[in-house]
Amino acid sequence: MSRRGLLLMGQCMPCIKQNASKIRIRRMELDKNLNMYFKKDEFYFAHDPQKVCKTGDVVLIRELPERLTRLITHNVEKVVYPLGDITDPLTGKKVVVGKYREDIEMANQLFGKSEKAFDYEKAPPRGRLEGTKDFTHGETYIKYHEDGKDQPFAV
Amino acid sequence: MPFMKGREPIRRTLKYLNAGKLVLKDKVRIFSVNYNTYGDHHAGARDFVFWNIPQIQFKNPEVQVLTLKNMTPSPFVRCYFDDGRDMLIDVDSRNRDDIIEHLVKVVGKTREQLDAEERLKESKDNPANFGYGCGRHCICEIPGQVPCPGTVPLPDHMRGKVKFAPK
Repeated sequence: MSRRGLLLMGQCMPCIKQNASKIRIRRMELDKNLNMYFKKDEFYFAHDPQKVCKTGDVVLIRELPERLTRLITHNVEKVVYPLGDITDPLTGKKVVVGKYREDIEMANQLFGKSEKAFDYEKAPPRGRLEGTKDFTHGETYIKYHEDGKDQPFAV
Repeated sequence: MPFMKGREPIRRTLKYLNAGKLVLKDKVRIFSVNYNTYGDHHAGARDFVFWNIPQIQFKNPEVQVLTLKNMTPSPFVRCYFDDGRDMLIDVDSRNRDDIIEHLVKVVGKTREQLDAEERLKESKDNPANFGYGCGRHCICEIPGQVPCPGTVPLPDHMRGKVKFAPK
């Protein structure tokens, strides 16, 4: 039967693999002593050759009928909530944590917009600063060796 | 004997967890609730998550139950099915009881289905079964059956070591 892994929803994590993305599935596990549910993380690798899902997106993954490699067991089916660009499913409008973008724009028109404010219309799709200032697409590690080369992912 | 620790520890009792009314249909794989931690119209959703999510997860251990916080202005419940389709349920300004009632009607198993499944599960009451957890330990206890070889040795034609012994 194995219903547990068939269809899952999780958040995309930084991953260095080329065709796959690492997805964190949060499941609730019952502690038998306390009879309380605690969050437990499981990591799955989902096949994603075009890298549709970026770090932080909430995606829906489905188990492959036959695993691609020893580790890649699932396939990215749909990006449900991309990070920073969430569409409210009830109304279909873009939202920013609890406020509609239209409402923010209306308020900006009334009160005046700051020059440094983020402009949603003119902003390019996510990934523009990936090599230069955004380092969320790869896993970080504690620097263990200083060899003079540039190590952007070393903490 | 002191009271149980924590906020509303009754949520952590087996009796409460077993009393959950929502048993999701087999087609439902993921049950996700989106709500905010602030805002009056999310109060029903917050209460629903606080009181009923453990019950739902307890009654449906195979379903992934998710709570996503502070993402959209209005709360909703989203159930994902086998084929990837999802069902959206708006719970804006709804009471906790209304939400549960609606969910039971829409994605919950009916009373008859639950009763039928319970009847199937009662294998202990099937008198044809023997062994651990059943009424009788072994068939050798029944008069008319072969007596227990632990008390009375089996006749030679039934003993493997005699039947297959080299002549």
